[in-house]
Amino acid sequence: MTPPTPLLAARGAGRTFGRKRALEAVELELWAGDALALVGPNGAGKSTLLALLAGALEASVGKVERRKGLRVGWAPQRPAQYGRLSARENLELFARLEGEHDPRAAAGRLLEAFDLPGEAEPSANLSVGNRQRLNLAISTLGGPEVLLLDEPTAALDPEQRRRLWERVAALREAGGAIVFATQNLEEVELVANRVAALRDGRIVFTGTRDEYDRAHVESLSA
Amino acid sequence: MNRVALLLRKDVLVLRRSPLLLGILIAYPLAIALLVGLVASYGSSKPRVAFVDEDNLPASVVLGGKRFDVSHTIDQASKNVKLVRLSSEEAERQLADGRVVAVVTVPPGFVSTLRGMVRSPQLQLQLSTGTISSRVEQQVQALVYTLNRQLQRAYIASNLRYVKLILHGGDGSFIGAPITVLGIEKAQGLLRAMPPSTRREQLLDFLHDARLALANTNDALSSTAHPIELVREPGRGRTWALSAEVQAYALALTITFLALLLAAGSLAAERDENVVGRLARGLVGLGQLVWSKVALAAVVAVALGLAIAVAFGLIIQIGSVTGGEPWRRLPLLALGLLLAGGSLGALGALLGALAREARSASLVALLVVMPIVFLGLIPAEVVPPAGWLSDLLPFAHAVRFFRSALYDLSPWREVLKEGLWLVALGAVFGGLARVGARRLLV
Repeated sequence: MTPPTPLLAARGAGRTFGRKRALEAVELELWAGDALALVGPNGAGKSTLLALLAGALEASVGKVERRKGLRVGWAPQRPAQYGRLSARENLELFARLEGEHDPRAAAGRLLEAFDLPGEAEPSANLSVGNRQRLNLAISTLGGPEVLLLDEPTAALDPEQRRRLWERVAALREAGGAIVFATQNLEEVELVANRVAALRDGRIVFTGTRDEYDRAHVESLSA
Repeated sequence: MNRVALLLRKDVLVLRRSPLLLGILIAYPLAIALLVGLVASYGSSKPRVAFVDEDNLPASVVLGGKRFDVSHTIDQASKNVKLVRLSSEEAERQLADGRVVAVVTVPPGFVSTLRGMVRSPQLQLQLSTGTISSRVEQQVQALVYTLNRQLQRAYIASNLRYVKLILHGGDGSFIGAPITVLGIEKAQGLLRAMPPSTRREQLLDFLHDARLALANTNDALSSTAHPIELVREPGRGRTWALSAEVQAYALALTITFLALLLAAGSLAAERDENVVGRLARGLVGLGQLVWSKVALAAVVAVALGLAIAVAFGLIIQIGSVTGGEPWRRLPLLALGLLLAGGSLGALGALLGALAREARSASLVALLVVMPIVFLGLIPAEVVPPAGWLSDLLPFAHAVRFFRSALYDLSPWREVLKEGLWLVALGAVFGGLARVGARRLLV
């Protein structure tokens, strides 16, 4: 019997930009059903770690391993979409690139699910919140089993936040997993079962949410 | 659909939604082509040349029995230069500060030497330094040539009058002194009236031969004066503005602007939109991203290039311009536009990858395009290093491809050579752009 393998794993993966080391070599595993919260101050390396896990960046050292055939969705902190295309056109384009069977239908479904305007207005003209919703919608194209979300709720209203976390819960129940970067401790409490804390490009804590809570309380009382 | 094609379709859609940008991208190079044309036409304009008269030329001069109006003769001979009469000092000063490009001086004693017909009088020429001086020297030589031709005609006419006098006899003048000549015809008459003798027959034979020989003097003198004569036939070629050369340059210049700016701007815009990371995580490779921009440049180059070629052809056709428009060559031209657009697009993509931001990329492309074009305009025979450098860039190859594709009787050899150049340059720039595109991920 083969031992279980994680969905996604960083094996000593790190990244430098020129002379600047954005992320030291890190070890991290993501298992089915996980909701891993990445916490830490600005510039700690959370976004770089997510980009490495997503495959948007190549690791300068080490590597990122994916379970064979794993589909990963990624929503970067700054929306990644074409400003001169409408929300529908963006969704259709990325649906085609993701290999969706029926790109038009997939776009229509996500427009409705994320409550996005379907008219031909360029997405650059959308509100900040709508642009972020489109960003998240694009990340769900292609039926990903793992979602990597970088501060996903920063520009969302409470209703949209609730809907997002409902989708995440459904994904986890279906055997998927999520990694999300956040500054919001309430979301950590609400969503995460595991936490990784980063500081100055290093992981300084990994553990369950309860372990993190205890460590957090201890650090506050120390 | 192929992923490169998907991105290409997206870029064309974006371009269609930017009519102002598209309009400027089309109008700007055409305006530049027009300006370049005007600059190039300076090649046939008149340089300013100082004329210094140190001989106090009279209003008219009689040479070889013909009266020359000096001012009129000089005006006629100086069609290709703008002669300005200046004093010697003023001419020196203007030559030094570049207001005139040459000084032609008529030295003292010029006219008297000319009248003497014993030796040739000399005009003195001073030239500015620089590349234009050789052209001015040619034009001043043309001026002297024209003067010489007018004088030759007068001298030949004068010589022929003497020949006529020798043949027929009569009154004339030589170096101002009146003379009376018996003439061969009258000499023959006098000899025939004399009693026959061997000596009389010998003299009559000689006079007969001399008369025949002198009768051909007109043609002989003319052919000696002009061993080779250039006869100008009525104009049959196109005007410069509609020439094959201008058509090829206008096409190349327009698509160079478009392809460079579009490829550079659109590649860098992918980073501005923050989508490079999203694409690069397995959806679209960086190589595919670069080639989609190359394809965009090639497609736009073909569409716009053919539109320009058709518009140019219609002008030729409607105006019944000599030579007509080679419509059959449009498919070959389209191939050249595709290759040139792609090659220039690859160079543009490299600039976009290096600049990383759309605004910087567009500015860099705009700054780069002018030297590329002007390098291609400099004749390699004049400045060889410019020719070598130009060979490493697609513009000059595009010009040669278009010219040959449209107008050469047998274009295949040239088209194949330049086509291979464009493909090779496109592959090199595309490869470099692919390497440079990693910078877009940062």
